[in-house]
Amino acid sequence: MGRGQRYGIALSAFVAFAVGAVMTLSLLLGDNPALFGDQPGSAQLAGLLALPADVLLRLVTIVVALSILIGIANLLYVHVGRLARGKAYSAIVLASFGFTVYWYVMRPGDTSLLEAVQVPIESALAALLCLSLLHGGSRVLGKRADIWGLLFVAVVVLVLLASLPLAELAPIQAWRDWLMRVPVSAGARALLLGIALGTVVTGVRALLGQDRSFRG
Amino acid sequence: MDQTTLQVYTVLFVFATVVLVYTARYFQRRGKRRPQRRLAGMGRIAEWTSRSIEANRPLHLALGRTAVGEDKTAIALAEAEFFHHIIEGAQASDVAPIISASAGSSLPLAQDTLRRVWSSGDHLSRAQWYPPDLAYAAAVTAMMKEDDPAAHILAGSFGAELALMIDSADRRGQGSLAVSDRLDGQAVAYAMADEVLIGEELFAAAGCVSEDGRAQVDALVLDVWRALVIMGVGIALLLEVAKRMPWLNWALVASVSAILLVFALLIYRRH
Repeated sequence: MGRGQRYGIALSAFVAFAVGAVMTLSLLLGDNPALFGDQPGSAQLAGLLALPADVLLRLVTIVVALSILIGIANLLYVHVGRLARGKAYSAIVLASFGFTVYWYVMRPGDTSLLEAVQVPIESALAALLCLSLLHGGSRVLGKRADIWGLLFVAVVVLVLLASLPLAELAPIQAWRDWLMRVPVSAGARALLLGIALGTVVTGVRALLGQDRSFRG
Repeated sequence: MDQTTLQVYTVLFVFATVVLVYTARYFQRRGKRRPQRRLAGMGRIAEWTSRSIEANRPLHLALGRTAVGEDKTAIALAEAEFFHHIIEGAQASDVAPIISASAGSSLPLAQDTLRRVWSSGDHLSRAQWYPPDLAYAAAVTAMMKEDDPAAHILAGSFGAELALMIDSADRRGQGSLAVSDRLDGQAVAYAMADEVLIGEELFAAAGCVSEDGRAQVDALVLDVWRALVIMGVGIALLLEVAKRMPWLNWALVASVSAILLVFALLIYRRH
């Protein structure tokens, strides 16, 4: 690794750390005059501290909005390459893309193409998804032949049965309600809590400039 | 809890995490390495990588809807780290892995992850963008036919559309490992994928597939926080139970807590 590259890595790590620190402090201290007590001018100070976060977040919003263009350019690039290798699907993708652009330029505001093509195709896919879920659900015990797989299937069957509008199934419906209220809710919270902890640890790594993106 | 208190707790939490990271690194540098916790399914990644190298078939790594620049940035970075180590293992293959994403802002991250390990080849066409949700699933299933990947590592933000992708991979005999930060996607992953990671395991996965010290330290810090949260929840539960049962006394609660803690430690060490 050359000296220039090393300086580049150090600079990018420093910029990441500086921006991360400014952003964190600005988000934590900004727009909360209560933090500075009843001093005169505390509202202005809180507003001033919130300014860097506001500016950076606006910048991020603009960049993220522009990133859709990167996606479209990538889609075209990939499919032109595939077409050159003789892949027929890519010709359909590129032709559809060109036709859609032409349609919206020539008939602005006309959503008939969306309604006639996109909506039916997505609905068909949603129906297929239902079948895929059913197919996958039927093979759970084949893939996870243990107590947890059995429990998974038992809960799915119970919830499905409880969804039936039959008076005879009222006790099962009470079980379903309890399941959703207590174990399912607890499990969901545990999952989200774990993800939140992971997010903080990864965030700290990025904040310290230790993420691989800043290490060259 | 008012906003000020919440902010103070947040600062303390972030600061404590920084201290934990540096403490763990200090001990690691002094050679005190703690064995990395094992995650189910990690062994299959090596098997799929070997298959990819032998058969000259790519691996498919999917980021899903995770986007850089939004609230899922940290998840995207953790995935990139995980994928980096998988790609490193597949370096001997003639075919570069494919990374797919449905957020345009994740494409530079995907290309950067490929470029870091794969010094030659066309990185622009190996990082692929597809529109989100069902359209993404449809495009990926088409890619499964065209590129015939050896396996799919679907680690990111997915909903129920994950079922279409895993089902298609299964029919083609392509392996799959899945994890999602969304509950519907996680349920589908558990039911249908060959191997599954659950929740925060996504963040610890990088440390499990590599010997990289930094990734292992992150996994260790995550373990410490996890243990502290479990202990906190357990203590809160015990206090609540004690409040409702006046015949309970502190000595009994403390004894039961100590026994449970010892059991938990024993189980943790065995795994």
